[in-house]
Amino acid sequence: MSPAIEVKDLNRVYYSYKKSVGLWSSVKGLWNRQHVEKVALSDISLSIPSGEVIGLVGANGAGKTTLIKILSGLIAASSGEVNVLGYNPFHRRNEFLRKISVLLGQKNQLWWDIAPVDSYQLLMSIYDLDVNKSQKKIKELADILNCTHVLETQLRRLSLGERMKMELIGALLHDPQILFLDEPTIGLDIVAQTSIRNFLSAYVKDKKPTIILTSHYMDDISKLADRLLIISKGRLFYDGSIDKFTQKSVQKKRLKLIFENPTKNAIRISDDVLIMPGTKNLDLEVEPTKMAEIITQIAQFQSVQNISTEEIDFEETIREFLKTQQ
Amino acid sequence: MKHWLKRNLAFARLGIQTNLEYRFNFFIDAIVQPAMTAGIEIFLWFALFAATNTETLNGYSKESYLAYVIWAAFVGRIAISWMYEHMMMDEIETGSINAIILRPMTFFEYYLSQLLGYKLVIFLFSSLVPLSIVLYFGLPTALNRLPLVALLIFYYLIFIHAMSFMTACLAFFLNRVRSFTLVKNFTIYIVSGELFPLDLLPTFWKKLFLNMPFAAGVYLPVGYLTNRISTELFLTGFINISIGLVVVLFLSYIIWRKGLRSYSGTGA
Repeated sequence: MSPAIEVKDLNRVYYSYKKSVGLWSSVKGLWNRQHVEKVALSDISLSIPSGEVIGLVGANGAGKTTLIKILSGLIAASSGEVNVLGYNPFHRRNEFLRKISVLLGQKNQLWWDIAPVDSYQLLMSIYDLDVNKSQKKIKELADILNCTHVLETQLRRLSLGERMKMELIGALLHDPQILFLDEPTIGLDIVAQTSIRNFLSAYVKDKKPTIILTSHYMDDISKLADRLLIISKGRLFYDGSIDKFTQKSVQKKRLKLIFENPTKNAIRISDDVLIMPGTKNLDLEVEPTKMAEIITQIAQFQSVQNISTEEIDFEETIREFLKTQQ
Repeated sequence: MKHWLKRNLAFARLGIQTNLEYRFNFFIDAIVQPAMTAGIEIFLWFALFAATNTETLNGYSKESYLAYVIWAAFVGRIAISWMYEHMMMDEIETGSINAIILRPMTFFEYYLSQLLGYKLVIFLFSSLVPLSIVLYFGLPTALNRLPLVALLIFYYLIFIHAMSFMTACLAFFLNRVRSFTLVKNFTIYIVSGELFPLDLLPTFWKKLFLNMPFAAGVYLPVGYLTNRISTELFLTGFINISIGLVVVLFLSYIIWRKGLRSYSGTGA
């Protein structure tokens, strides 16, 4: 079976112009502008089988959204080959567009001035969908998302969480084979985030679409994605499972100590570790090989009531990784 | 074809629905503004004839001018597109166009159908203003010509939309292209015959403007409705629009293609 998405040597360069500060540079910019190139994606190659959920992770400006824009056909690649479901996405053939759906968390895909039910009617006409089947589907999805009560309220009057649920229903109405989700939970409170995450998880199990998901919430990625792609400065830095990435990247463990009494004086353990006076609970990230040594050193100065160690989780691993990329 | 029609009827409904959503704005747009424009025109031409102390101007009576300007104010408002042109520009400038171009439809048809739907409703409501005035004052109007006139106006709207689309596509390359709309629409205001009947112009300019598609926006439909021009001249409007459409659509296509190539999917 051919992959749903295949990308080879993909590059994308953006052009903009550089403006110095001040009024004079604005005046000068009328006739003389200094153009600059920014490489957003560089030599990306990947293959995604049908039905796989991809978590696309990277710092701001790493190139995640640019990759989604190219794969969905929104913008053209500067060079390289892109094949999505057998189509060049940038040609935006109607047959191709009927098979995909794009949900950009920071943009409305539904119509602002009308109620979601009216937007769905419009989508039925655009995608040429069976009205009865679609209405049944809307009801089902709205029941699962617990948002039936807002279907007839204008989009502009809904909360962000309700709006996102409505957007999700709209994005899934035509049963897309590929779903591009760019920050679907951005700005949502924890309840709405969990609700959408659970919904997507159930949807993936049931319909098995190919999903490309970007999110700044690593819980979204770790709970939904089968495969992790990390982009850094326009390059594909990692392509593999989440577990492997965590194992490969984590060279430290978390050491937690509870002292019998708060420390009286500052204690210098090593160049990196200084325990401040008044500390009762201590939380350190240490290399496993140095753990015994550090515990022994601390015990010389302070009575310890409890010692525990923990693995560093995926979210922290990614956070540490992204810090190194900025 | 059936699907295309279904889709575009849905867009036309959207155009009507979204505008009816803002009732006050719709009322101002459909009734108050045309009534006020008509009132101003009536005073202006009454004053003009009173000041010149004449019965006719360039061979036409005061009633004839009044009929012309009343219908011109109405037709001129139907045959222009400010709102949708600005909306298209906004979509491109802010990146909300993404939601349109990633669906199986075209940006052009999406806005054209909305424009036609909205203008149809405005036509039905606003026509009450000139109809009541011409009937009240007994101004010369061939109401039996209204269906054919409406046909020309709506055909012209397709041309105007193509012009708007072309102007809006400049937003792919330039920020803040609204100044183009202002210049374009003001030019159309004059060359379409909305400001004054084109037959008041010197022969050279009159001939030139009559051979442009813009005359089909106001002068030809209103002239025909008020018995100012012949059927033959009126029908040239359909030909001029067709030629104009071919040219503008060709240019629009080129700008659109180039624009999409340079588009960076703003804000997504």
